[in-house]
Amino acid sequence: MHLSRTKKIKRKWSFTSVSIVLLLLTVFAATSRLLAEQSLQKAEELAVQRAVSGIAPAVVKIETFGGRERVGRFLVGTGPTTGCVVSPEGYVVSSSFNFIQHPSSILVTFSNGQRAPAKIVARDHSRMLVLLKVSNVESLVTAESVPRSDMQVGQWTIAVGRTYDGQPSCSVGILSAVNRIWSKAIQTDAKVSPSNYGGPIVDIRGKVLGVLVPLSPGGRGGIAGSQWYDSGIGFAIPLADILERLGEWKNGQDLHPGIMGISLQGNDMYTLPATVAVSLPNSPARAAGIKAGDQIVEVDGVPIERQVQLKHALGPRYAGDAVRVVALRNEQRIEATVTLTDAVAPFEHPFFGVLPRRDLPDDEGIVVRYVYPDSPAQRAGIKIDDRLLNIAGSPIQDTTSAWAALAAVESRANVHVALRRGEAIHEVTTSLITLPQEIPVLDPPLPHQALPDSNGHPAVGIVNMKIPELPNECFAYVPKNYHPSMRYGLVVWLHKPGDFDQDQTVQRWKLHCEQDHIILLVPKSSDPSRWQPTEIDFVRKTIDQVASNYRIDRTRVVVHGYQAGGTLAYMLAFSHLDMVRAVAAVDAALPRLLRPPATDPLLRLSIFMTTSQDSKLTERIKSSASQLRELKYPVTLHHQSPTAGYWDQQSFDTMLRWIDALDRI
Amino acid sequence: MKFTIGIIAFALFLTPGRSFAATSPDTSSFAAVVRDVQPKVVKVFGAGGLRGLESYQSGFLISAEGHVLTVWSYVLDTEFVSVVLDDGRRFQGKLVGADPRLEIAILKIDSDALPHFVLEPTAGISIGARILAFSNLFGVAHGDEQASVLHGNVAAHTRLAARRGAYQTRYHGPVYVLDAMTNNPGAAGGALTDQHGKLIGILGKELRNAHNHTWLNYAIPTSEFTKSTSDILSGRNLPRLADENMKLPAAPHTLARLGVILVPEVLDKTPPYIERVVADSVADRAGLRPDDLILFVGDRGIPSIAALVSELRRIDRLDEVKLLVIRAEDLMEVILRLE
Repeated sequence: MHLSRTKKIKRKWSFTSVSIVLLLLTVFAATSRLLAEQSLQKAEELAVQRAVSGIAPAVVKIETFGGRERVGRFLVGTGPTTGCVVSPEGYVVSSSFNFIQHPSSILVTFSNGQRAPAKIVARDHSRMLVLLKVSNVESLVTAESVPRSDMQVGQWTIAVGRTYDGQPSCSVGILSAVNRIWSKAIQTDAKVSPSNYGGPIVDIRGKVLGVLVPLSPGGRGGIAGSQWYDSGIGFAIPLADILERLGEWKNGQDLHPGIMGISLQGNDMYTLPATVAVSLPNSPARAAGIKAGDQIVEVDGVPIERQVQLKHALGPRYAGDAVRVVALRNEQRIEATVTLTDAVAPFEHPFFGVLPRRDLPDDEGIVVRYVYPDSPAQRAGIKIDDRLLNIAGSPIQDTTSAWAALAAVESRANVHVALRRGEAIHEVTTSLITLPQEIPVLDPPLPHQALPDSNGHPAVGIVNMKIPELPNECFAYVPKNYHPSMRYGLVVWLHKPGDFDQDQTVQRWKLHCEQDHIILLVPKSSDPSRWQPTEIDFVRKTIDQVASNYRIDRTRVVVHGYQAGGTLAYMLAFSHLDMVRAVAAVDAALPRLLRPPATDPLLRLSIFMTTSQDSKLTERIKSSASQLRELKYPVTLHHQSPTAGYWDQQSFDTMLRWIDALDRI
Repeated sequence: MKFTIGIIAFALFLTPGRSFAATSPDTSSFAAVVRDVQPKVVKVFGAGGLRGLESYQSGFLISAEGHVLTVWSYVLDTEFVSVVLDDGRRFQGKLVGADPRLEIAILKIDSDALPHFVLEPTAGISIGARILAFSNLFGVAHGDEQASVLHGNVAAHTRLAARRGAYQTRYHGPVYVLDAMTNNPGAAGGALTDQHGKLIGILGKELRNAHNHTWLNYAIPTSEFTKSTSDILSGRNLPRLADENMKLPAAPHTLARLGVILVPEVLDKTPPYIERVVADSVADRAGLRPDDLILFVGDRGIPSIAALVSELRRIDRLDEVKLLVIRAEDLMEVILRLE
């Protein structure tokens, strides 16, 4: 009894004390969580500040004097920029963004205020960096680099610049990604802009991860990527990679991206294997014995299953680097050492000299519709209605496969072509030439088979289209005699800003759409007074939409524009070589900032441009033509008589004949 | 029982005594700081609404009686400026005064016992310090919705070198440059605090960096506007803004008087290379030589001949001209003084 009472009391006591303990623990937990949170906040702030002051002596301000003020339409910033000291005797790395204007004088200011002149030693055209040498300095504090293997996505990153007066500036973020821009760069969400390009991005201990540069995945040229400044997408080149090359870079040799000189089969790099379609003449790949049909399966010990992996493996490599390539040829492993180069002579498309029939059902080979005078085909005795079956060992199904077969020939002399004439199989041998610039006079025009009756074909006539979430309007004119068994060329008409008459446009094209099997697509700018470069994406989406609803002849996709519409046509074509086969630009020159890519052996692009005496652009158009001809694009330059408008009937007919011959083989 | 008391004692021992009072806003988490600051931040609505001009901006309370500090802008250019508190109460704001140099203004609303910031100069805000920026950027908040809070760090502490459109700004004093996207439409007049919620600056208008044309995110430090604010509150007249050109000396230096002949100015940005130095001139005696390139006058970088001419126009003939020139590979400092 006594015992039990004691127990009761004891239980009561312990109940109370447990609640007090719980209460205290709760208060304790809450306050200590709060304290921990604040002390973490404070500790992080202190660590950031320590990291910045730690790296500050290796971060210099760079001022440039003289040089060009504008690059294209873009005003080049005249302000100061940042650099990272990478060697005690005065080598400084910065972003080439700050040096595109080729300054006549460069002045470097160190953290202690000391100033010294500097010279550009060399540039890195792959990673968009410059190496400077500061004269008359010694024992500089240099940046300490973090090995790539120690970088972890999510870790603190602090972007440091020295462009403001006084102390360096900083922006805090985290490492967003590694292996960006074909494995050349790392990515951060710290604010990166002309205020800190060239400066280091450091970890929380003040060690350098990389050097900040503007880059964009698809962009080329000195200022690509700068439009993303302060956006939360910033790039840096790992300092470890820079230091690895510093020795040879110091010798004053510019570094260039390394090129192998091959084209791959297919146009989906994320799923397809890296099978070589063309090994360019005079390319490192050709010299190392890599041939069309080889499947690259390994580069420097890294297995390659898809094309994109090959791009990542080669992305960081420079011209002059040797890579060990393993390829599969007829299930045999072939090993080759390829010494990369900075440029391969531009590819000139070979030409046999025929036009294919487009009005016949798909069958074996292609039927000749027209033989070009003085062409290899004519010299080999090819006749209208011959059925071409095989070119240089590759069987031919359609125009695209004929183009691929021509592009893949190793030598343009003594090319064998197999054909069927009547019931007999013939083989001829000829030497290919390059694509002509002249437009054939087709007489008679495209023959037409009577089309079978088609029920329930898609909408014809004027078809209005809308791309979700975009304000732009768009319509297509589908010929009334559209038949799903046929393939149709696609002409994308980009109007000139301002006046634009839908009825007149349809009237002009209607008859030709029906005769030449063409669908006319007319996307409109959202602001009627101008086209914006961002609308390229909209135009591409309209092309996708037409191609998914109608049967499109991929060899005759033409972007046709007038004045600013023509400028947009060039931009669209050169950024979408996989989709556009031809540009017809009336009274429009190449945009100044556009650097056309090298010709692609598989993805042909033909160009039709016009000049007229009363156009202010004539000189620029002529220089655009010669620029593109130097790059070996097939350019047809048409001179118009001075007119007040878009163009005269004779010139329009010339363009239609040029479009009709785009599928030449 | 001894055991349980032991636990209590242990718990007490573990808990720092100070922490029982840890609810003071100065030492708590971001969430608590934001809760404390938000009632001091207001939304200001007024004139504007035309193309590209927003009819709203931000502000914050600086007295319990309803004085609101904001930026001086076209938004206040109407009799009907309304000030909306964080709890949704709407007041008409009456303009008390403005400082055109700092481009700040004080409004008064008819209320009392309002939570407010105390204006006092701040020290120790160094680069890398964490900041919170409170503003109604993009006019996101309406009625009783609270201002938006952005978190970032002080990127730089520098003097403002910025331009709005093509015009240089009037204010050239110290600013905090921030690494958060704080200065967007409607954000001007917002409050910048440190991580403890202490006011350290007022968010400025949208400006571009004059050097590299990028948009600038910045705030004017509290210490720059405490005096101006108390002058406005006490009804003292602020001096009118002096025209920049009025400050130019009547008799400045000229290249001709110094004896310097530059290369012909063929481009907007022709660098100031010396073509000839007049024999026995000031320049000659100071040691300037043909082909020297003038990089700096005093602390100002000189990108072109035009910039050199305009800089010399600011220096009185009685004062010396300090040049930094580059000759071949060497930097030289040259001081020119008229006798």
